[in-house]
Amino acid sequence: MTKPQDKLRGWAAARKAILSGLRFTSLRLRLVVVFGLVALTAAVSASGIAYWLNREAVLTRTQDAVLRDFQQEMQNRAGVLPTHPSQDELQHTAGQMAASSQRFSVLLVAEDESGRTVVGNSGALDPFSLADVPESLRTAVGKEQSITSNNKYPYHLYWQRIIDGDKPYLVAGTKVIGGGPAGYMLKSLEPEEKDLNSLAWSLGIATGLALIGSALLAQAAATTVLKPVHRLGIAARRLGEGKLDTRLRVSGTDELADLARTFNHTAEALETRVADMSARDEASRRFVADMSHELRTPLTAITAVTEILEEELDAETGSVDPMIEPAVRLVVSETRRLNSLVENLMEVTRFDAGTARLVLDNVDIADQITACIDARAWLDAVELDAERGIMSLLDPRRLDVILANLIGNALKHGGSPVRVSVRASDEDADGGGDLLIEVQDHGPGIPEDVLPHVFDRFYKASASRPRSEGSGLGLSIALENAHIHGGEITAANSPKGGAVFTLRLPRDPSALTETPAEPDGANGNGEGA
Amino acid sequence: MGQNASVPSLLLIEDDDAIRTALELSLTRQGHRVATAATGEDGLKLLREQRPDLIVLDVMLPGIDGFEVCRRIRRTDQLPIILLTARSDDIDVVVGLESGADDYVVKPVQGRVLDARIRAVLRRGERESSDSATFGSLVIDRSAMTVTKNGEDLQLTPTELRLLLELSRRPGQALSRQQLLRLVWEHDYLGDSRLVDACVQRLRAKVEDVPSSPTLIRTVRGVGYRLDSPQ
Repeated sequence: MTKPQDKLRGWAAARKAILSGLRFTSLRLRLVVVFGLVALTAAVSASGIAYWLNREAVLTRTQDAVLRDFQQEMQNRAGVLPTHPSQDELQHTAGQMAASSQRFSVLLVAEDESGRTVVGNSGALDPFSLADVPESLRTAVGKEQSITSNNKYPYHLYWQRIIDGDKPYLVAGTKVIGGGPAGYMLKSLEPEEKDLNSLAWSLGIATGLALIGSALLAQAAATTVLKPVHRLGIAARRLGEGKLDTRLRVSGTDELADLARTFNHTAEALETRVADMSARDEASRRFVADMSHELRTPLTAITAVTEILEEELDAETGSVDPMIEPAVRLVVSETRRLNSLVENLMEVTRFDAGTARLVLDNVDIADQITACIDARAWLDAVELDAERGIMSLLDPRRLDVILANLIGNALKHGGSPVRVSVRASDEDADGGGDLLIEVQDHGPGIPEDVLPHVFDRFYKASASRPRSEGSGLGLSIALENAHIHGGEITAANSPKGGAVFTLRLPRDPSALTETPAEPDGANGNGEGA
Repeated sequence: MGQNASVPSLLLIEDDDAIRTALELSLTRQGHRVATAATGEDGLKLLREQRPDLIVLDVMLPGIDGFEVCRRIRRTDQLPIILLTARSDDIDVVVGLESGADDYVVKPVQGRVLDARIRAVLRRGERESSDSATFGSLVIDRSAMTVTKNGEDLQLTPTELRLLLELSRRPGQALSRQQLLRLVWEHDYLGDSRLVDACVQRLRAKVEDVPSSPTLIRTVRGVGYRLDSPQ
C-alpha cells in the first residue's frame, strides 16, 4: 500500500533536488551570461573600430603611394609620347611604366594618326584590357573639364576600388594634358587584404579569449558569492536540527561576511536563550527532585513510627484511647498516602531526569500478573486470561507498576470484574514480536473529551471529585514505564461498554539497555556449550 | 556471633536522628537488640566492640559514606549488611551491591519489610542437613557450613554461602534469578535480579580459578545460573 506513496515522495524529492540544483546554478548562469555579454560588447566594439581604422590607414597609404607613382610615370613616360603613338610605342611605354617600384599593370589608350584607337598594355602575362576598367572611370577620365581658378588642369586622376573574381583591385586612370594618351593602371590589393584578414582573425581570437576569460571570471565571482551562501544554507539547516553551537567562519568585510556575522549573532542568541530556558527547566525539575528527596527523610521516620501506632490499633488489648483512635487511624492512612505520593513523585522526576534504568529479567508473564493481583488482594475482582509459559524479557518491578496502576484504575473507575488478557503477537524466530496485555473494565467507559488526557499528570476525570484516592500520577507513570521498555499504552472504549487499556511491550527490549543484564555477558558466549 | 543466640543483635548506622530513633523503636519492637551509630566511623568502632549479627547501613553518611563503610567491613568481616538507601537510583543500588552488601531497602522503609529482610538474611547462616558435596577442587560441607577450595577455607558471607548451597543442591540445573531471589533472599515476586548478579559476581571471585571465565557457576543465557562440576 505504501509503495506508490513512497514512489511519489521519491519523485517529489528528486524534483525538488533538481529544482534546487537549477536555482543554485541559475545565479551562476546569470552571472556568466551577463559577464559574457559585457565582454562581448566591449571586445566586438573595440576590435570593430580597430579593424576599420587599420583598414582605412593601410588602404590609403598603399593607394597614395601607387597613385603618386602612377602619376609620376604618366608624366615622365606617357607625357613624352607623341600625340598619335603607334601600338608598339604604347606597348613599350606601358611596359616601362609597369616596371616601377610599385607593381601595377598599365594600359595606355591613344588614337593613332588614322584615328584608330590603339591600346598598349604592360606584360602579356596579366592581360589588362580596357574591359577591366569600369565604364564610369573611363568616362570620368576622358572628360575634359573647363579650367577655372580652382581647377588648373583639364584632366584629372581618378581611381576606384573594384573586386574582380573575389580579388580586390585598385584601378586608376588619367589623361596626359595636351591630347596625350589616356593611361590606366591596375594594382592588386591582395597583400593588403591578406594583412587585414589576418588582423581580423587576431581580433576575433582576442574577442574569443575575452569571452572565455569573462566566463571564467564570472564562475569565480559566482563561486565567491555562492560558496558562502551554500555554507550559510548548511549552517542554517544544522541550526534547525538543533545543533545550536553551529557557527560560520567570518572572513572579509563584504556583505556576505556581514550576513555570516549576523547569522552567528542570531545562533548565539538562540543558543543562550535555549540554554537559559533549559537551565530554568532543569532547575525546576531539580527542585521537584530535591524536594521529594527531602520529603523522604522525615517520611521514613514517620512511617517507621506509624507502624508502631498501627500495631497498637490492631492489638486486641485496646491500649489506644477510643477517643483518639480515629485520629491515629487518619495519621496512619494519610502517612501511607503521602508515602505513595512521594514515591510517585520520585518516579516521575527520575523519568524527567532520564535516570530511570531498566533492570531486565526473563519472567513468566502469567506468574507476574497473578503475583501482582495477589499481592494487592484483587484476586476476586480480576479475571485473568493468560496461559502460563509466555516468557518475556522485561523489568518485573516496572511491569508491576504498570499493571497495578492499570488494574487499580480500572477497579476504581470502572468497577469489577476487571478482565486482564495476555496475548503474544507475531513471535518471530529470534524471540522478537510484541506482548499485548489488555485491561478491560465494565464501567461506563471514558468520556470522549477525557480520553486524550487520561495519561496527563494530575488530570482528574471529573471535577466534581477533586480528591480521588490516587495521586493523579499513576497512569502517567504507567505510560512512562511502558515507554522505557520501548512499549506503549493506549486507552479506548470498548464497543461492548467499559474502558480498555492496551499495553504493548516488545518481548526483547534488551537493545534499549546499554549494559546487558548478564554480568558476564562478554565471555558468556562460549559457556554451556 | 552474638552473645544471645535467640535475640539477634543489630547495628544501625544512620545519621538522621529522627530516622535512627524511629527505626530503633520499630526494630526493638520486632524483637531485635539494636545498637546505633550516627557516623560510619562510630559504626566501625561499635562493630569491633559489640560484634553484632547484622548491620543496617545508611548510604548517605557524613564523613565516610555507606559504600566505603561496607567495603571496610568486608575486608575483615563476612557478617550480613543491609543497605538503607534514600534514593532508589540504580547507580546507588549497583554500587552498594558491588561494595558487598547482601540486600537493600529503599526509604521510606516500612519496619515490617526491614524486619523480614533482616530475618531472611539471618536465616542464611543457619545450619541444615549434614552432607557434603565436591565440585572439582571445591568442597562444600553443609554440616559445618564451610567451603574449602584446594583444602583452604573460603571466607563466604552467609548470603554467598546460601547461594552456593542452593545452587549445589541442584547441580547441573539452571535456576532463574527469580527462583534464586525466592530461595536465597526470600524476596517476593518483585525481587531485584541485580542482587543475584552481584552476589554471583562476588561468589565467582572467591570460588572460581579465573573469575572472568567461570567454570563452576555458569551463566545460562535468558534463564539464570547453574553449578557444574568441572570436567
